[in-house]
Amino acid sequence: MSFMTRRRFLGHTAGAGLVLGAGLPGFCNRLAAFGQGAGLSRVEARYYKKLPDREIKCQLCPRACRLGDKERGYCGVRENEGGTYYSLVYGKVCSLNVDPIEKKPFFHFLPGTGALSMAAAGCNVNCRFCQNWEVSQVRPEQVDHYDLPPEAAVGRAAANRCPSIAYTYTEPIVYFEYMYDTAVAARRKKIRSVVVTAGHVNEAPLRDLLEVVDAVKVDLKGFTQDFYSTYVRGELKTVLDTIRAVGKSGVWLEIVYLVIPTLNDRAADIRDMARWVRGEVGVNVPVHFSRFQPLYLLKNLPPTPVATLEEARETALSEGLRFVYIGNVPGHPGESTYCPGCGKVVIRRIGYRIDALHLEAGRCTFCGAALPGVWT
Amino acid sequence: MGRSRVVVVRASGSVSRTDIPGRDLVARMFGRGFALLTGERAPKDALMSVFRPGEKVAVKINTIGGKAISTRPDVSLALAGWLAGNGLREEDIVIWDRTNRELRAAGYRLAESRERLKIFGTDTDGVGYETELVSHLNVGSRFSKIQTRLADASISLAILKDHGMAGITAGMKNYFGAIHNPNKYHDDRCDPYVAEVFDAPPVRDRHRLSILDCLVVQYHRGPSYHPRWAEPCGILIFSRDPVAADRTGWDLVERLRAARGLPTLEEEGRRPVYLFTAEQMGLGRAGTGGIEVIEEDVQ
Repeated sequence: MSFMTRRRFLGHTAGAGLVLGAGLPGFCNRLAAFGQGAGLSRVEARYYKKLPDREIKCQLCPRACRLGDKERGYCGVRENEGGTYYSLVYGKVCSLNVDPIEKKPFFHFLPGTGALSMAAAGCNVNCRFCQNWEVSQVRPEQVDHYDLPPEAAVGRAAANRCPSIAYTYTEPIVYFEYMYDTAVAARRKKIRSVVVTAGHVNEAPLRDLLEVVDAVKVDLKGFTQDFYSTYVRGELKTVLDTIRAVGKSGVWLEIVYLVIPTLNDRAADIRDMARWVRGEVGVNVPVHFSRFQPLYLLKNLPPTPVATLEEARETALSEGLRFVYIGNVPGHPGESTYCPGCGKVVIRRIGYRIDALHLEAGRCTFCGAALPGVWT
Repeated sequence: MGRSRVVVVRASGSVSRTDIPGRDLVARMFGRGFALLTGERAPKDALMSVFRPGEKVAVKINTIGGKAISTRPDVSLALAGWLAGNGLREEDIVIWDRTNRELRAAGYRLAESRERLKIFGTDTDGVGYETELVSHLNVGSRFSKIQTRLADASISLAILKDHGMAGITAGMKNYFGAIHNPNKYHDDRCDPYVAEVFDAPPVRDRHRLSILDCLVVQYHRGPSYHPRWAEPCGILIFSRDPVAADRTGWDLVERLRAARGLPTLEEEGRRPVYLFTAEQMGLGRAGTGGIEVIEEDVQ
């Protein structure tokens, strides 16, 4: 946004609140009328190789699932049928909301706007601390879903005055075809696309995706392969490659690090991570240290102490990162954006709500310093 | 732990691709299998040494392979008939798998009547998976309500197949079809996941018997059906030890592979190591030295 007075901003947010509060139920009812309970999709997947004897090898993510006829990949949403690989979730939305974009979180991308936030079932990792496991760690037939083809999704975003569509809640890489086509359709209507991902994707599909989306938030879940092997069932190297590729692409990048007590909160790991971010994608990439809540298969640990998050933030700031945030602690000063020039608060946040905005054309209204981000 | 008994019952005479034993012969094979396994001559005594009167029994079959390479209706219906004819109530028996779609594709006619034998999938309206996760060792899954609520006891009636990731799929891995997220447990040759899913209370507390449908065995390039590597064997394998049953099935797969000059599963890097994990967990015997195999032909 080029410039938004506080009054204008609050008016804008209030409008979004109306959409959230009143618009969505009717919206869902309409969706239900044309698709709830419909079967799974049969759209040929991209990024796979046909092998002899009706086998296939998936090339979407580093798992490289090799599957016989009638088998599904690790993600549970892509299936080999007779030697052709299909996405079962193309246009099959299991979650749909208008969220503040701060919830994704994106703090330097169209702040204060609503994002049409959608998901299809499935995920290609299995984090023991998954916060959305009811939709991400299931097969698509195990959740209610609605038919929402790409053009219809774009129409819903426009109808709800959302300047962006967020592919979120589950792992959007596993519904790559649907996300990609929706992003293409959205761009035609000047609606942005933002991706919330674990970053477990191969280079070729990522490269293609970055051509059609506008922002990517990567969940960097730890900074050791041991942590990734034990608690994520994934590869750290791939995730770092993804962050590096997004950083080089010009697509807006933010990073979230969910701090889990005793598992990935070592100061040395946080410092290593901060140095890596500084060296590979630069000090202007926002990093969010989010508070863990005990869910799914990690219920034996307490929520992250706020002091641990503050320590992680201080460590990252001391390594030169300029925009380091604390997440899931509503009202904490670490939620706000501070001007790197004068140190004053330029975006004051309370939870997902913006309380004050002192930016004009991406510049601090106090000192004129430019802040990195996508503001309009 | 003493030696575990495994019974291998073979349909006598030549078994060709078009001459798979019919339901009557399969029923006689069940009779001998139960008798040899339990040491009881009378069928009712044999049955009641495994189950208690009035128990609800769920028969978990494997139908992911379609009509060609799934637990055959002739096998599961023969078993249900034998159980119902020897002491269990027909209405207390359910034959089941993950989905009705897969059951139909494998040749099953669904049946949901309360008064009769039931055949349906977990995705039947009003069934589904438990809401609560069972978190057990490395496994976190929701179990089918058929396993948790409709069964006092369960039988794993799996088809024996080569498996590209696990090595083989047989009685223990069949219970992957009882959880909502089996796709998450195929890493590392399904080890330790097969053993740990089996060890989770919804399975371990109910499982009474493994029976492997080896009438036709997919001994290579499984679990999908490839006719050139599918061999009619006319065999049913019985054991109360789930690990020993699967170990015996593995040996059968290796014999079929060796006869065709194929490398062993170990040579292909697909040794079913989860069986040894299961043994270490105390679920049964994986080493052949701990297994007593009784073989018999049935006409």
